[in-house]
Amino acid sequence: MTALAERATTARRLETETWVVGAPRLLAGLDRAARLDLRAHLAVHGPLPAVEIDRLLSYADAVRLAGRGGAGFPLASKLRSLAEGQRHIVVNGSESEPASQKDRVLLRRAPHLMLDGALAVAQATRARRVTVAVHDAAAAASVRAAVAERPDARHVRVRKITAGFVSGEARAVVRALKGGPAKPHGRRTPDTLTGTFVSNVETFAQLAILLRIGPHRFADTGTHAEPGTTLLTVGGAVRRPGVVEIPIGTPLGIVLAAAGAPAYPQAVIVGGYHGAWIAQNSHVRLSRTGLAAAGGAFGAGVVLVLDDTTCALGELARVTGWLAAQSARQCGPCRFGLPALAADVAALVAGQRALTAAFGHVRAVEGRGACAHPDGAARFVTSGLHILQDETERHLVHGGCGRPIAGQLPIETVSTR
Amino acid sequence: MSARIQVDWTRCDGHGLCAALLPDRIGRDEWGFPIVGQPTVGDPNDGDVRHAVAACPALALYLHKTP
Repeated sequence: MTALAERATTARRLETETWVVGAPRLLAGLDRAARLDLRAHLAVHGPLPAVEIDRLLSYADAVRLAGRGGAGFPLASKLRSLAEGQRHIVVNGSESEPASQKDRVLLRRAPHLMLDGALAVAQATRARRVTVAVHDAAAAASVRAAVAERPDARHVRVRKITAGFVSGEARAVVRALKGGPAKPHGRRTPDTLTGTFVSNVETFAQLAILLRIGPHRFADTGTHAEPGTTLLTVGGAVRRPGVVEIPIGTPLGIVLAAAGAPAYPQAVIVGGYHGAWIAQNSHVRLSRTGLAAAGGAFGAGVVLVLDDTTCALGELARVTGWLAAQSARQCGPCRFGLPALAADVAALVAGQRALTAAFGHVRAVEGRGACAHPDGAARFVTSGLHILQDETERHLVHGGCGRPIAGQLPIETVSTR
Repeated sequence: MSARIQVDWTRCDGHGLCAALLPDRIGRDEWGFPIVGQPTVGDPNDGDVRHAVAACPALALYLHKTP
């Protein structure tokens, strides 16, 4: 495929809308251009200063830069634990959360920001290998076109790997890159011990901003504990679904209003399908600490809204069935426990008494797997059942709620071609 | 030095030998997979625990030593 044809393919699939609360950093320039090529990227962001490891670490420490893939592990700690020897920098662009679009937006529309960050880490750690792992063809084409534009990225490889929810987990990505199955390992050995540094696309892009503006300006926005901005993907029953950049700590209500959510949503889910249903509380701060205080999880920053035209319990059942199907089927409790849990939630929708069984099966999967999938699924279902107590009661008494299951929660990854 | 009994869930097939050998520490769920109720082992050389680890046919049961 020629570069021009690749560009045309990329442009056709720019279906995700982007908007901003406050001043844009990662999304800067994207209001005027569909995609920032190298020239446009440099015009918007300026050149990337050369960095050595000490400065990179002190900057990352100063703003407590954390991984943006969901786990929120501090970047500096991960860098310090990187083993000596042959080092390998991996950009995890697999974004396997079906409702999440933020990394795809960066890969397709602002790929140079992520490349800046990855190349800076490679230079600072003297890593000779840099790999960008992606799940879809449009992202791969955009990153390949970006790599071809810059002489400092000759050693960057772009690899398309198997799609699937648990395949996006960092250790599954590394395993796939080494020719193995895209599934997490049984024993929890950090990849840094083998000299491999894996982080999410947005993490590298944030680093590219941090290295340019320095920790002082970086902390101009956000909260004291979590400076800077973050990307969210907002979806479900909103008028303006899309990827939004916000100062960390922005109240949920502001994002919901800006997204055109109904004034009284039936339910709000933050953190995607490993996240949590949270009680309608527009004061909840969108930060790791804010979500933790509200009993949720920030995850990879997915916000989903349900309005009152859909059966929320049915939506929960649909996603629980999907989560069960996403099991890598490596670990018994997840393989058998999640389908049992999905059957319980489906029984609740049908008006049967299955709440005790459901919480029993939640306990059967919690903490009993090689990766975060069973725990994340358990959190999603438990929080949903707590929020939907009245709904469950209504289904039990009346055999249903009279509303159809509209499918407001997406369960297919958008465009994995 | 102490240790924790852990299960490599990708290997475990729920044979149940661990639960039979360590009934005070390990139970089984409805599919037969172990529920480690008492994972902390004071003495890493505890004979019963080492025996159970050695007996696991799937090599899934292991002792994770913590300093």
